[in-house]
Amino acid sequence: MCPPQDSDAPLEALPDLDPLLAEVQAAANAEALRELERLWLDRPGGRLARLMGRIPTLAPEERKAFGGAVNGLKRALEGALAERRAALEAAALEAALADPDFDATLPAAPVIAGALHPLTRVRRELEEIFTSMGYHVLDGPEVELEHYNFECLQIPADHPARDSQDTFYVRPLVPGAGRLVLRTHTSPVQVRAMERLKPPFRAIAPGRVFRNESTDATHEHTFHQMEGLVVSEDASVAQLVGTMKDFLRAVFRREDLDVRLRPGYFPFVEPGFELDARCPFCKDGCRICKGSTWIELCPCGMVHPGVLRAGGIDPERWRGFAFGLGLSRLVMLRYGIDDVRHLLGGDRRFLEALS
Amino acid sequence: MKISLRWLARHVDLAGVEPAELARLLTLHTAEVEGIEPFAPALGQVVVGHVLSREPHPNADKLGVCRVDLGQGEPAQIVCGAANVRAGHRVAVAVPGAVLPGDFKIKVSKIRGVESAGMICSERELGLGDEHAGIWVLPADAPIGVPVTEALDASDWVVEIDNKSLTHRPDLWGHRGMAREVAALLGRELRPLETALPKTHGGGERPIPVAIDTPDCTRYLALPLELPADLEPGSLARSPDWLRLLLLAAGQRPIDLLVDLSNFVMLDLGQPNHLFDARHIDAGGIAVRQARAGERMTTLDGAERALLPADLLITSGERAVALAGVMGGEDSKVVADTRSLVLEVATFRPTPVRRTAARLDLRSESSARFEKSLDPHLVEPAAAHFARLLAELVPGAAPSGPVSVAGELPPVPAPIELDAARLAATLGAEVPGARVEDLLTRLGFDVAVTANGWRVGVPTWRATRDVSLPEDLVEEVGRMVGYASLGEARMGAELAPAPRDARRELARALADAAAGSAGLLEVETYSFLPAPLARDLALDEEPHVEVENPVAEGWQRVRRSVLPSLVGLLPLNLRHGGDLGLFEIGKGYLPESPNGRGEPAEVHELALVLASPPVAEGRHALGGALARLRGIVELLVRRAGVGAQTAWEPAPGGPPFTHPTRRASLSCGGRELAFAAELHPAAARRLELEADVAVATLNLDALLGLERPGARHVPLPRFPGRSLDVALAVPRSAPAAEAEALIRAAGKGLVRRVELFDLYRGPGLAEGQKSLAYNVLLVSEERTLEEADVRKFLERLERTSRDRGFELRGSPRS
Repeated sequence: MCPPQDSDAPLEALPDLDPLLAEVQAAANAEALRELERLWLDRPGGRLARLMGRIPTLAPEERKAFGGAVNGLKRALEGALAERRAALEAAALEAALADPDFDATLPAAPVIAGALHPLTRVRRELEEIFTSMGYHVLDGPEVELEHYNFECLQIPADHPARDSQDTFYVRPLVPGAGRLVLRTHTSPVQVRAMERLKPPFRAIAPGRVFRNESTDATHEHTFHQMEGLVVSEDASVAQLVGTMKDFLRAVFRREDLDVRLRPGYFPFVEPGFELDARCPFCKDGCRICKGSTWIELCPCGMVHPGVLRAGGIDPERWRGFAFGLGLSRLVMLRYGIDDVRHLLGGDRRFLEALS
Repeated sequence: MKISLRWLARHVDLAGVEPAELARLLTLHTAEVEGIEPFAPALGQVVVGHVLSREPHPNADKLGVCRVDLGQGEPAQIVCGAANVRAGHRVAVAVPGAVLPGDFKIKVSKIRGVESAGMICSERELGLGDEHAGIWVLPADAPIGVPVTEALDASDWVVEIDNKSLTHRPDLWGHRGMAREVAALLGRELRPLETALPKTHGGGERPIPVAIDTPDCTRYLALPLELPADLEPGSLARSPDWLRLLLLAAGQRPIDLLVDLSNFVMLDLGQPNHLFDARHIDAGGIAVRQARAGERMTTLDGAERALLPADLLITSGERAVALAGVMGGEDSKVVADTRSLVLEVATFRPTPVRRTAARLDLRSESSARFEKSLDPHLVEPAAAHFARLLAELVPGAAPSGPVSVAGELPPVPAPIELDAARLAATLGAEVPGARVEDLLTRLGFDVAVTANGWRVGVPTWRATRDVSLPEDLVEEVGRMVGYASLGEARMGAELAPAPRDARRELARALADAAAGSAGLLEVETYSFLPAPLARDLALDEEPHVEVENPVAEGWQRVRRSVLPSLVGLLPLNLRHGGDLGLFEIGKGYLPESPNGRGEPAEVHELALVLASPPVAEGRHALGGALARLRGIVELLVRRAGVGAQTAWEPAPGGPPFTHPTRRASLSCGGRELAFAAELHPAAARRLELEADVAVATLNLDALLGLERPGARHVPLPRFPGRSLDVALAVPRSAPAAEAEALIRAAGKGLVRRVELFDLYRGPGLAEGQKSLAYNVLLVSEERTLEEADVRKFLERLERTSRDRGFELRGSPRS
């Protein structure tokens, strides 16, 4: 690139600035700029350096003016080169940024992500709400003694209330021992809790329960409940209502969620209630509340004195209230699941869609 | 149970009460209303027509052409096929534009060439039971042209009550009991019920001897009734319309007058009853006793029943005439020429009736009521009610002798002391005393004011099971004032934080790591191990907790471990995608080691499966599903906070569906924490799985038994370390753990990290050898390591390897 004849040729006079700047402006790329820089600004071989080399040969009175002129030329040239270089870089960046191949609508690369089961997510949420209100979280066996599942709860053998329970009976493991069932509700944890904890206490017990019934979109032989139990000296119906309101407002994230109690019969509570919540999904009736604006949410009531006694707690001193939340049902409400069988079906498509 | 509002109105004035409002009141104060609907709405769609003439149809032998006066304009011409249409009949006519059940629209049409402007209806066509023998003939005085609803005063609403919510309320299994609630809720009067027996005909006859020889019958009444001798044949075949319509509204199919009357009394007062043909009751009368071993009887459905001593029988002479509370006997039933009847009204203990009905699969309206503990005081009023209605419906019918009753009435229960302060504290609200007294009194309680509250006598119809404690009265007061009026309260704060549960926290940490860090999907699967899966996984010989009444054939086993359930999900899920990782935290039950109370041992387990498309043999060691799953297991154990050293060892055993050699267990101080294996190829074949499948379990109980200090800070190296790769040729049977141990020993405390990056078998190695290639990081806490340190490390490793029969391969790079 460099013209060899230029290297040592004497340079007599200052060149004109304008054509030089024009040449810088015309440089098409970084190489051309570097070449100009080398030709003019290199030391000691560049043209300006060689012009400076003439200074000793000049008359003393000319030296200062000549030096000043060469330096001015140098600064102008340096400035022009820097400016042109910046312009070229900016243009190159501009060109690089304009990527005609980029397609914003292309699917993103998939991430292999796991997920907690919707039951786990809702269960944890409930546990957090209740633990923040001072509740223990308890566990109880799924293969349960009939004693805890029924007798302690005022449901002796041949009680008509057993009709609605569709119990799975377990083949005895030890002859003569108490009969075993797959627990039909989480309520047996009530008396287990009373045996373990000293009143006053508050506890919840989430878990799976079993009913021997044929399955369809709204019935499963295995589903999840969460029992709640409070034993204190001043437990009351009004406290039960307050507790359920606090809880439901937290679950459905609605400050104005209203609830109502109506009579319901469960042998282990007295009085016993069904708790309905104002439908959180509509104002004047929808498919979920079957047009009634209320959804039946959980059976509850004041713990029957006989149950307290079965748990070794003196009903003259202590009272309690209890509730049985349908955990599976809450999950279905939360995610809009229309078939309860999905929950335990283990189909990745169901789980991945909710992940 | 279905409640007819027109029926209810026989007992309480419902004027001005909207059906929907009544349903709301019952829901909020008494029992769960499942639905409310108008009764037989088709009755409002048809009008009373007067058949003026019936001519044969010109083109069809079986059809007739009727001229029917509809009360306005010209009589309508209607083609009708029923044989019982005659001139002079009043009939129900659906005129064009009417819509009958099944969305059947009536139009003017031509039937075999003759125009027909409407339809003369049968009862079935109007949604009134299944009577379809002919058209419905209305009373001769039905006003022509008027809608049938109006003409028969049949306008009614049906309220459906959830039976479950009446389990404790025998008194609500009849319209009168429900009317008592409604009267109290509306503040209206419950009309009195006439309970005097009608006068006896003939007189002088002896009462029917009745004996109760069992504690399971609490009260038994027998009343002889005589039908008039000149009764026209067939006149009892059909009840009057008012009775039929009420029964239909209550969901009871009309049969004939005597059966209908019996059902009416049951649905009215809640008291079942039964009629015998008196010809089958001996002079010796009736005895109630337990069945004898081997005894048999034929019930009136024609079935012969083998009886057990627990069954309760009504007998006369030696013969069983009824299965008490469940069903009458075939031999003693009322037939067409029966003129002398014996009415039975009784109460039985609930349990024997329930057991017999359940065993023979004969649950009936009657047994359902006896199961609820009926009030023995109701026996006599119900008999009187029956006799009075019979006399009304069949003029001349009357008791033919005195009533006989056996069984002592139960003692009146002691009144309940209801403490006013306790009432207010339990409800969390004050209810004015006068209100309490008024509400209880309206429900039939006998209320006296005491110093601290009230002394409350319980009416007999509430005393059998339902009300015996002060808490029961709290419920009565609470529900009647309405729970909505009690307001709400917050519990006082407890300052101590809720205690933490180690197992729950461990499960939570593990689930978070498995789903969050390892990218697995959490599943919840059934606790049952279905037989086909048990067979495919070779688990069918293992002991399992078993249910006696499985939900489906083969679903009797309760799982010992969660893992098989996860394997069972693979065939479904691998059809819908490739790589798959699932986990579940759950319980297994071991029947072989029950505790003192006979409960099976419960194990808490985290189970995992990992499946990916099949890979080449060589990849298994490092890249296969088992290697990845073991990595996940290590991560989980770390997240569990296990601080002590853990090590993989060959697993001595494992579930039968796991690979017999490709399995390993992770232990800590001799305790097995986790197990990981490939799926046994035979099991994979039976499940038709082509994937590379690894399975693992973590024993939560074992993890909980360990010290779990959690993660601890390790100081970062202060001096640069040196990283180098080494490869050892070792016999194929030598465990990698040994090679790693050699490397660590050769480092004399400088080895900070050893990572296997290649496992090779094949050309370049001696027969029976494999090559293990590691990246090793040497770090000193005191100084920067030099080339000489690396050299010394390699020299030591070469020597110790040689001593062990291993070979340090090639020239190590550093």
